Amino acid sequence: MAMPVAAMSRLAWRNLWRNYRRTVIMLLAIALGVWAMIFMTALMRGMVDDMVQQGIVALPGHVQVHAEAYRDDPSITHSLPAPGKAMLEVLESRQVIAWSSRIKVPAMISSEYENRGISLLGIDPEGELALGFDPDDIVAGQFLTDAGDGGVVIGRKLAERLETRLGKRVVVMSQDPGNTIADRGFRIVGIFKAELENREETIVYAGRDVVQAMLRVGNDVSEIAVLGHDYRTPEKLAADLGDAAAGFEVLSWLELDPYLSTMMKVMDGFVLVWMVVIFLALSFGLVNTLMMAIFERVREIGLMRALGMRPSAIVYEILVESLMLLALGLLLGNVLAVSTIIPLKSGIDVSVVAEGMEMMGASSMLYPVLQWPDVLLANAVVIVLGILTSLLPAWRASQYRPVEALARN
Amino acid sequence: MSLSKDSGYRSLPKAFSSSCSARFALALVLVAATLPTAFATEVITDARTLVRAAMDHWRGTNSYSEMTMTIHRPDWERSMSMRAWSEGDKLSLVRVTEPRKDAGNGTLLKDKEMWSFSPKINRIIKIPSSMMNQGWMGSDFSNKDISKSTDILDQYEHELITSEDVDGRTVYTVEAIPHEDAAIVWGKEVLKIRDDFVMLEEQYWDQDGVLVKVLRTSDIAEMGGRNVARVMRMSKLETPEEWTEMSITAIEFDLELPAGIFTLSNLRNPRQ
Repeated sequence: MAMPVAAMSRLAWRNLWRNYRRTVIMLLAIALGVWAMIFMTALMRGMVDDMVQQGIVALPGHVQVHAEAYRDDPSITHSLPAPGKAMLEVLESRQVIAWSSRIKVPAMISSEYENRGISLLGIDPEGELALGFDPDDIVAGQFLTDAGDGGVVIGRKLAERLETRLGKRVVVMSQDPGNTIADRGFRIVGIFKAELENREETIVYAGRDVVQAMLRVGNDVSEIAVLGHDYRTPEKLAADLGDAAAGFEVLSWLELDPYLSTMMKVMDGFVLVWMVVIFLALSFGLVNTLMMAIFERVREIGLMRALGMRPSAIVYEILVESLMLLALGLLLGNVLAVSTIIPLKSGIDVSVVAEGMEMMGASSMLYPVLQWPDVLLANAVVIVLGILTSLLPAWRASQYRPVEALARN
Repeated sequence: MSLSKDSGYRSLPKAFSSSCSARFALALVLVAATLPTAFATEVITDARTLVRAAMDHWRGTNSYSEMTMTIHRPDWERSMSMRAWSEGDKLSLVRVTEPRKDAGNGTLLKDKEMWSFSPKINRIIKIPSSMMNQGWMGSDFSNKDISKSTDILDQYEHELITSEDVDGRTVYTVEAIPHEDAAIVWGKEVLKIRDDFVMLEEQYWDQDGVLVKVLRTSDIAEMGGRNVARVMRMSKLETPEEWTEMSITAIEFDLELPAGIFTLSNLRNPRQ
């Protein structure tokens, strides 16, 4: 390189501020683009995280054990006995935070006026709370007190649909393993709310022992739900349980809820696509700015060439110029993004579009999640693609013939 | 009256078989009101016996009947004719004869289990629990209403509320409150039973004390040797323009029913 880096940089820096208005506009454009990349990604991450966590609470657990045919036909005929010795060993081990065995069968619930199809959950309240049921979700009455509790806890929306309320009796009807109708009256002891209306409408909690007696299944249950330490890595727990529960189907939430796990995987790709799309819009501005800067300086470039500056040095100078522009823009954008995300950590209320969010399984509060790899990716995309797009104007500038360039006015 | 011939009534206290001893029942109620602890169970037993007698009166040891069911809606109405057999509390078979497009459709009830057969698809379907609350053959009677068999006896606490004279006969009003864990949505049912055990009215009240629907007898006639509720209409109070009426054209009691009538094979291939 003929010219020292310091001189080149000074030249680039001065060129940048020769038309400061244009540079400021470009800086703002880059900053805004970077901000959009980071901020929107944080929002999307927050949404997916929220969906995954809600999904896990709804499942519940990171790993579940079922009878082989249960997931195809969730009837009471496909049940499994209470966990044996080998399974208990894993369930009581340190990699498990909580576990509970539950009955989950399709049923009908009726009041005097309405009938609805529901999922009847026969649960042990203690285990259910440990698996993530939030007692604050009970909006009226109380949660079941123990597995022998003769009441039911139904969703707010279901109570509305059934035209019933706390303290009234409802009838739950299902079938026993012999296909005979099994029904029983329950008093509503609690009403729960859920982020998703669908849960409020379809989930009914009853005591496990009571449901077992009603369905005449002894101690059998439909599923065993197990909560591990990290939802991102349920595989080890699933494998250990699979060894202990031979003959039953042991699956992690990644397989139990393929929608959610696919969502998580797609998200990474989506973030990149999102950034590139924003950058594409940005790149037109960038190319245009640099092109204009070059057109204004054709004579100057011609002079430098005539004085012996090599084409490669001209490319170099223009690239440094664009690198400075990008770096400044990135700095501004990152500061802007972080300073908007941090105050919003406590959540953004998007209840205006709650219905649409619900269709995707997300709640009406949005918690942006700032992940450093995403910030790095955004910066890398802008720098790398920015330099690449600047190559075109730089190359154009280096191709002027000195004589023709000097003759322009 | 063929009461003495009928074995089903032998266990009945005489209290309800004539209007003079009805006064005795009334006295019992009055005594019960003053001495609730001492006589309460006695009265409740009586109320229950009364309901039991009404059921036996309606079904006999066994019965065969022909009836027409009319389903009425504000903008349409249709009728179906059918034949029905019953035995004891738990067995019933109903078969549609008219109109032609529904002819052959059958329903078999064994205790709480219910099957239906349709010749068009030539299949027997066991009615699953999820369909128990749907209307039976499109009527205002739900499958559950049809199949509840002895629920009214087993699942409720009965209490005789009043007895009053109507056209020279005594009409008893029994209030039936379902047990806490009974599979019954109603807050209470009120039964009006005449002293010859004809059920005059069955009221379904919700748990807030609002009357929801009523099964009311509008004509009583002597058929098959006893007084029978000939025409009964089920209607919801919220939609008085929608009702289902059952009207009996012929009924016989205590006859020789061929064996194997209440079987799935007979539901599919009628032998009567």
